[in-house]
Amino acid sequence: MIEAFLSIAVIFSAMLISVTFPSPPNLSKQKQLASLGTQALVNLDSNGALGSFIVQENWTAVRQSLDVLLPVGVSFNLTVFDENLSPINNQTIQNTGLLGRETVSVQYVCATQARNMQLFLLRLQLAWRG
Amino acid sequence: MEMKRRRNSGQILLIAALIMASLLLSVQLYILDVGKITGEVESDSLTDFVLALKLGSRHVVIGSLANISNGGQSSTLGSNLLKWSSLISEQYPFGRSTLNYALRETAPYSSGAWIDWSTNGIGVSSAYVDFTYKLSDREISVNQTYVMNITTTVLIESTYRIVSGDTKQVNVTINLLNEAQPALAKQVTIYYKVSNSWLIPNATNTYEIIDYGNATYIASFNADIPSQSVEVSAHVVDKREIYAQANATSTQI
Repeated sequence: MIEAFLSIAVIFSAMLISVTFPSPPNLSKQKQLASLGTQALVNLDSNGALGSFIVQENWTAVRQSLDVLLPVGVSFNLTVFDENLSPINNQTIQNTGLLGRETVSVQYVCATQARNMQLFLLRLQLAWRG
Repeated sequence: MEMKRRRNSGQILLIAALIMASLLLSVQLYILDVGKITGEVESDSLTDFVLALKLGSRHVVIGSLANISNGGQSSTLGSNLLKWSSLISEQYPFGRSTLNYALRETAPYSSGAWIDWSTNGIGVSSAYVDFTYKLSDREISVNQTYVMNITTTVLIESTYRIVSGDTKQVNVTINLLNEAQPALAKQVTIYYKVSNSWLIPNATNTYEIIDYGNATYIASFNADIPSQSVEVSAHVVDKREIYAQANATSTQI
């Protein structure tokens, strides 16, 4: 009798523990998000605008452009690094906070289309809102 | 005897429950782990990465040509590409990434650049680089070659007619091309030659330039040019800041 109760308890505990495991990330959604992020950066960079915004330290223009290029419902946070991997954006480039959301990170190398070429490394973190 | 059998069956039941519990937990852990690994490996970012790589390579070549054509060192292209390839080689996190480049040395190119601002009405500023990108991933192997040929061409034609004495009315038609496609200019400056000096026509010469919006510009001005040979020059900076100039001898109409 005791063994039967113990068996039920063991099975029940195992089920409870397995329920508390974090669910595996939704890969297709994450891949889609990463792709959206890269496409937005490629679009912004296609005519050299991204590089010139960074050189001018026009972070507002970068944020507004990404806001337009990314679909509604996507939160982002962009950090711009120089060649020595030091962050150079002195203000946050984000629309809404990413805190507590499942994020994906996209890395992008940007070369300015200018006489004095400069290279930057961009890290774009993205998450679905809601 | 009966009691012993019952105790045994209870123990078997408990052992079976433990096995089931451990199976349940290990299957759950396996699913979680596979999910994580797939998340790393199945990154679809490779295509995007290569696209960004080509775009960046293009920017580097354009920027370098803008520098060279505006009086910079011819070695700028090579040094910029070295920086670019070094940064790219460090970037792809899932494998070994190498970007190699070769500056075109076949005539008329030298160190990847060709600057020809001749007197036959054609001016060319061009850069030509062959790239090879290799990536060895845990699952994927990429070996991609691509070419960046950036060329700004200025074509000019000029005619003049004698207004009175040495005064001539000169027309200069300028066409600008980027990679053989019509392109807009950021700046166009016209010069004419008088006694071995190049002069810029201004308002006193009733200078005007019309932008047709299709890469064609027509400049016209009046100037006192004693010589029968009217030489003109167009100095053009395109939207990418690549400079080119073309010289021509005006024909009388």
